Amino acid sequence: MPAEPQKLPASTAGFVLAAAITVIVNTALACAKDAYAPLKAFMKSVAGHDWTTQGLFDLALFLALGWIFAKTGLAGRMDSGRLIAMLVGAVAIGSLGLAIWFAVT
Amino acid sequence: MNVALSDAVLLGHAAFGVAGSLAALWVFVEALNARSQNLGRIRAAAWIAAACIVGAWICGGYWYLHFYPAEKAVILAGPWPFAHNVFMETKEHLFFVTAILALLLPIAAREPLHTNATARKLALCIAGLVAITGMALEGAGAVIDHGVKIALLQHAR
Repeated sequence: MPAEPQKLPASTAGFVLAAAITVIVNTALACAKDAYAPLKAFMKSVAGHDWTTQGLFDLALFLALGWIFAKTGLAGRMDSGRLIAMLVGAVAIGSLGLAIWFAVT
Repeated sequence: MNVALSDAVLLGHAAFGVAGSLAALWVFVEALNARSQNLGRIRAAAWIAAACIVGAWICGGYWYLHFYPAEKAVILAGPWPFAHNVFMETKEHLFFVTAILALLLPIAAREPLHTNATARKLALCIAGLVAITGMALEGAGAVIDHGVKIALLQHAR
């Protein structure tokens, strides 16, 4: 009889979901600020450079979402295998998205 | 020997990046054979990977903000402007992906990987992605560096 798939604890699952969302938001934000100069200027005004602001935003988003998902148990109720696939898919889409965007624009 | 601050910071960035990628690869190999005896090594390697990538972030960020603008101007005036327009632009944003994954790695490594197959699969995926994206970033760094070099050499040949 095959073993029943094991789940990830809610705290770990929460940070996995947070990482997947942060990776996609990071790519979307990089493309948005490249396409829309006022956004880049605003981000530059926040921390002195748009890249610094984006890094701090990504870090804050990852930690905040991870904490929220861990506390609420939202990600813990999701299928763990699907959650891992979401993370890998997000990294593939986010990474290739960045490369294609900057190669084409 | 005259090693300027900019050189030390840039080499520190690359060294931390390679070390972080290798530590992630170490986690991957250990997790393939996860047992109760090597859980301590897996967790230590995961923390080393995270610490090295944070070190690469600090060194790379300092260099990018303080020293890169001059090199960017050289690249854009040379025969390989795509070294900045494609490779640097992609690298500086892809780095955040690697950094988030590296910070996630110690969280995944907290789990008992020898008894939880799903947690082991998660650790393998994260460690593999840190190693792959880390090596991609190193490669992009080499292209950027070469973009500066051939721009400086174009009139000397």
